[in-house]
Amino acid sequence: MLRNRLKGSILTGAALLLLFPVIFALTANPSKAAGAPDLTGVWLIDHFQPALFPKGTAPPFTAWGQAKFKEADTQVNDPNLACLPHGIPRLMFVPLPMEVFQVPDKVMIYQEAGNQLRQIHLNRDHKKDLDPTYNGDSVGKWEGDTLVVDTIGFNEVTWLDHAGLPHTGALHVAERIHRVDHNTLVDDFTIEDPKAYSKPWTASQTYHLKPGWEIAEYVCDNNKYVYHEK
Amino acid sequence: MPSRLLYRFRFAGLSLRIYLIIEVDRSNLQAYVFLHIYEYNHFSIPGGIAVNTKRFIFLFAFALGAIVASSPAFAHHSTAEYDMTSSTTVKGTVTKFEWTNPHAYITIESKDDKGAVVEWTAELASLGMLARINWKRDTVKVGDEITISGNRAKNGKAHMRLEKITFANGQELSGRVG
Repeated sequence: MLRNRLKGSILTGAALLLLFPVIFALTANPSKAAGAPDLTGVWLIDHFQPALFPKGTAPPFTAWGQAKFKEADTQVNDPNLACLPHGIPRLMFVPLPMEVFQVPDKVMIYQEAGNQLRQIHLNRDHKKDLDPTYNGDSVGKWEGDTLVVDTIGFNEVTWLDHAGLPHTGALHVAERIHRVDHNTLVDDFTIEDPKAYSKPWTASQTYHLKPGWEIAEYVCDNNKYVYHEK
Repeated sequence: MPSRLLYRFRFAGLSLRIYLIIEVDRSNLQAYVFLHIYEYNHFSIPGGIAVNTKRFIFLFAFALGAIVASSPAFAHHSTAEYDMTSSTTVKGTVTKFEWTNPHAYITIESKDDKGAVVEWTAELASLGMLARINWKRDTVKVGDEITISGNRAKNGKAHMRLEKITFANGQELSGRVG
């Protein structure tokens, strides 16, 4: 009798031990990977930066960069006038909300403007021989509470900000995304592109949490400003 | 409308600019002199003096108001095409309300000083942001008598970036997001 009861409790204990990981997995927040800091939610920039370098200031342009920047005209040749993707880092400066999702192996950023989805791959290095793309190839890793993101593999279509900072296919964007408090997210950028800039420069964007907000559909289907009259 | 940058200075971390704007209203024979203290995106403090040139009466209508309107949502183009230093107000009848992205548009027919019909368009924010400030697809209907206020296009066309609309019953609805 006693022996049977002992056997029963050992079996129950063993079964519980086996089930613990399953129970934890079921009760954990499914929106993020276990153990990773939580950046999920809908975020909106705290302050619109129409130009990363306001009049009177400038990044360390090379001669090529300076000349290219002079050609930029927000009313004529902004690629976004034709509703093309913003690219990185400009996507992170758009004055519309973005939702951050954390799924296994990825952090996804869903920007309302054009309903663009940015992928940050967590458990891999950059792929070899990347095709040049608008958003490039973003890989990330956690350093404490900070998501450290590295992006390369860009095409040369996009602007770095809304004022027309240029770049080449050699653009390298490093980001450190972290939550400074429950309601505040900060993304610190380091921009490197030896052909356009003589040395790396930095920028920063702060976001506020918008509880209850949902990303709306945004199809750029009534753009009256593709061709501007000068 | 001539507007001239008078003075640019920094205060409390803000880059402030003072503009002088002179506007002549020929129908009422009035000249307005406005001073706007202006900080990109954040606020403007407008004030002005109206001069009735017919009766030589100077009306010191220095309406001082701080308009706090941070982070306007410009999804796909900058505010560069609009004269952000002044506001234009037009009354008319709605002929079209386009509830579309990247921007919504209101088209109204108004009458100018000589009674000629002028078609005005107003550009609004994107639908998602408008919904967050209580706009709906039927907020404005064809045939409604409304007043639109906003920043006029620099190219002089009858086009503005909407700041607010006023309905026939006097009720106002802001078009500014942020």
